Amino acid sequence: MLTGCSKGGSDAGDNKKQDEQNAQRQQASIKFGDAADSTGPAAAVPGAKNGGSMEVLERDSYAHLDPGQVYVFTEMTVAQLLDRGLTGYKATSNDGKQHEVVGDLATDSGTTTDGGKTWKYTLKDGIKFADGTPITSKDVRQTVERLFAPFINQGPTYLQQWLANTSGTGYRKLLPDGPYKGKHLPDSVLSTPDDKTIVFHFKTPHPDLPYTLAMAGYSIVSAKGDTKEKYDKHPVTTGPYKIQSFKSGKSMVLVKNPNWDAKTDTIRHQYVDRFNITFNQQFEASTKALLADSGADQAGISFSNSVDAGNLSQVLRDPKLKSRVVSGYQPYVGQMNINMSKPEMKDIRVRQAIAYALPVTPFVRAYGGTDAMQVAGGLIGPTVSGYDPSFDPYGKLKKPAGDPAKAHALLKAAGKLNMKLTFGYINTQEGQQYSTAMAAGLKKAGFDVQRQEIPSETFYDQVSKLNNPYDIFHTSWGADWPSASTVMPPLYDGRQIANGASNYSQVNDPHVNSEIDRINTITDPVKSAAEWEKLDKYLLTKVVNEVPTAYYKSTQIAGSKVGGLVYDDVIGGVDPRRLYIK
Amino acid sequence: MGGGGTAVVSGEPGPKATGEAALTGRSPGQLMWTRFKRDRTGVISAYVVGFFFLIGLLAPLISKVYGKNPYTVYADERPDLFDSAGVPVHPNGGISGQFWFGLEPGNGYDVFTKLIYGIRTSLMISVAVTVAVVVTGILLGVAAGYLGGKTDYFIGRVIDFLLAFPAQLFFIASMPVVVSLFVSPRDETPTYVRVLALIIVQWFLGWMGLGRILRGTALALREREFIEAAKVSGASPWRIIRKEILPNIVTPLLVQSTYLLPNFVTAEAGLSYLGVGIVEPTPDWGQMFSKASTELVMQNDITYMFFPGISMIVFVVAFNLLGDSVRDAFDPKTAR
Repeated sequence: MLTGCSKGGSDAGDNKKQDEQNAQRQQASIKFGDAADSTGPAAAVPGAKNGGSMEVLERDSYAHLDPGQVYVFTEMTVAQLLDRGLTGYKATSNDGKQHEVVGDLATDSGTTTDGGKTWKYTLKDGIKFADGTPITSKDVRQTVERLFAPFINQGPTYLQQWLANTSGTGYRKLLPDGPYKGKHLPDSVLSTPDDKTIVFHFKTPHPDLPYTLAMAGYSIVSAKGDTKEKYDKHPVTTGPYKIQSFKSGKSMVLVKNPNWDAKTDTIRHQYVDRFNITFNQQFEASTKALLADSGADQAGISFSNSVDAGNLSQVLRDPKLKSRVVSGYQPYVGQMNINMSKPEMKDIRVRQAIAYALPVTPFVRAYGGTDAMQVAGGLIGPTVSGYDPSFDPYGKLKKPAGDPAKAHALLKAAGKLNMKLTFGYINTQEGQQYSTAMAAGLKKAGFDVQRQEIPSETFYDQVSKLNNPYDIFHTSWGADWPSASTVMPPLYDGRQIANGASNYSQVNDPHVNSEIDRINTITDPVKSAAEWEKLDKYLLTKVVNEVPTAYYKSTQIAGSKVGGLVYDDVIGGVDPRRLYIK
Repeated sequence: MGGGGTAVVSGEPGPKATGEAALTGRSPGQLMWTRFKRDRTGVISAYVVGFFFLIGLLAPLISKVYGKNPYTVYADERPDLFDSAGVPVHPNGGISGQFWFGLEPGNGYDVFTKLIYGIRTSLMISVAVTVAVVVTGILLGVAAGYLGGKTDYFIGRVIDFLLAFPAQLFFIASMPVVVSLFVSPRDETPTYVRVLALIIVQWFLGWMGLGRILRGTALALREREFIEAAKVSGASPWRIIRKEILPNIVTPLLVQSTYLLPNFVTAEAGLSYLGVGIVEPTPDWGQMFSKASTELVMQNDITYMFFPGISMIVFVVAFNLLGDSVRDAFDPKTAR
């Protein structure tokens, strides 16, 4: 009765080679392109054809279309088709692995003569909004100034903070009502001497500005068409596609934008005639539909749905699916935070015991295995410059299930055997699964683990409270651009400890704080990447406030008629800009 | 579910009435026992049910002999047996001489010990609920039936009110609330609290059916001559209920509880399936179903589903057949 019902799982121990390739890929940092690199049109995708309509299956509807409000992965992905910014990432290879930052609407990635305090951009000729009006420096000014208005509250805040030279939300004082009450940013902050030129003035050097401006959240908004809050539903777009119809929560249709000129764009293509996007497609549903590969789904894809954990190993092992499946890294790094504000956690031997004892295999397993998660060494992941694949402070690469003997010895030395350890876990199916197995691993080392469930909707609110009751809890963080300057300062700057802030472990180390200030002023991206990695090593070996668990990966599938399918490392998913229909 | 309408009072008022000269006297219990022994289905079912209870009772002993426990995370202890997603590498869910029923996809618990401990948890909870329900049903049902009047009216309306509750929804909504009543914020919710909460919640909405049946029985008995006689001889109501009525409601009581118990087993499993009952790592029958329904198991290890599935089907069917046989034995006049 019980024979032949199911075959065993596949043995996956073949990741070594892949890891090495990833490491090599990351050796080359992303460079800033000059005017020649920024001149369109984009190099043609081999074999690409024009025409046809593509079905897009998405789980989450787009809550925001106003560029200033876009900060969520799904919205950032569709923004690749809709919006353009001053700069952007150009894929310089056909596999989505190599990139450079180039001028998108601007002629180059930006010029600075004083180490990053003053940045000058010049707009290209012949660039227009979807309604036909030309894009001028007035629109750029409007785009920047409206970010200070109260209704813009979802997007990134780097540029605003740099212009106002403050941290936190204090930047809004610079221009409390945005540009809508007749006030503007002074020329000492943002100057637009003519229709083509934009100059940013910062008090301190910000060598990362070209990366920052490439974020979808800083795409250009039309000054004439700015309808404030209503812009979120009816934006005047700039990219190769425009919105024909949008029924929130149901569907969206994108059609070609006739006012987009390929000659001005070195990043995007316009092969497909229309994209029919359907929402509310769960991961399992979209995976099954695209696996079936019938009817309209043959030309089907999902921009942001991954293959669900249950189907993952089957999808990856099927040789017939090889041409329809792409995988790659997402920018997220999972980490177990050790709450430094707890008196019980002040002893470094206790923290080291946690670090050595904690098994990370449960976490990897819960999300679908090494196809979905790669066991992490350090805090800087493979999508960020400076990633060191050989860094393994707690021996997790060799012993991913933890080292209870070593942890037990450390805990014994500290005289804290059988100490109570409150473990706050997110109450999802995955969270329950990995937390029970992690607790079993910690118990072996001599901890009295108390698991506490936290509802998934309020998880991050709960763990970012200053007086939360948890000794350890797991969070993940994604870099906003491939520099650790979007990882280290928000997570480990001790001066940013506050209710709701992202310094979850509440670490406040004077050396870390001063290093953050020092590295932030280094203008050479290669040098600063190396310095950030040094700080990563200091944190994990001397401070021990985190245990890195895994680098997130994603696998996506498309129908058999979809061409140009590539996993783009910068987007962290399928690159929608180069798709065509076979 | 099932088994209603058995509240027929059997003809014999008591053993005293059968004392004729040459015939050997047999109590209703003995009569029932001889009738039950003749029913082959009933006897087999009884053995099966007994087997399950035995397994539940002896689970710690069995697993000691077997050398494993349901809490060991074999995916970390024996990584050679699993792929990185926690699916057993060997076919049929990793069944081997060492792991008789294979290993659970995910954290890799041993399925055999998990199942027997799961049976233990589920049966323990269900027996406790059944006992609580029977006691409550007797107390309130008999009191309502025998005392009548205002007491009857009041208990009757409470029963109506509780019957109108959507039980399943109430369970789901009230379980977390009941659990949070007991637990301090720094500690893990202990398993006994969840068990207690499950018992309380199921008991609260489980006793009304039995209570009503017993009320009807007591109402009919109240008018019988032997009760009148007891009353005339000056017995107190408490003595009458204890000595005259209780022995006469044993039949519906036994029949009803054999139907109730498997219902509580499935209800408890349902709650754990929905994630509001017993949670990992405590082994539980229903929670094994919940694991079996995940896409990971569906796509990679269907075998796993057979163990909790088949064992529960066998148990519930056997218990229901046993209930039928007990009813037939007590009450051969009921047409089927």
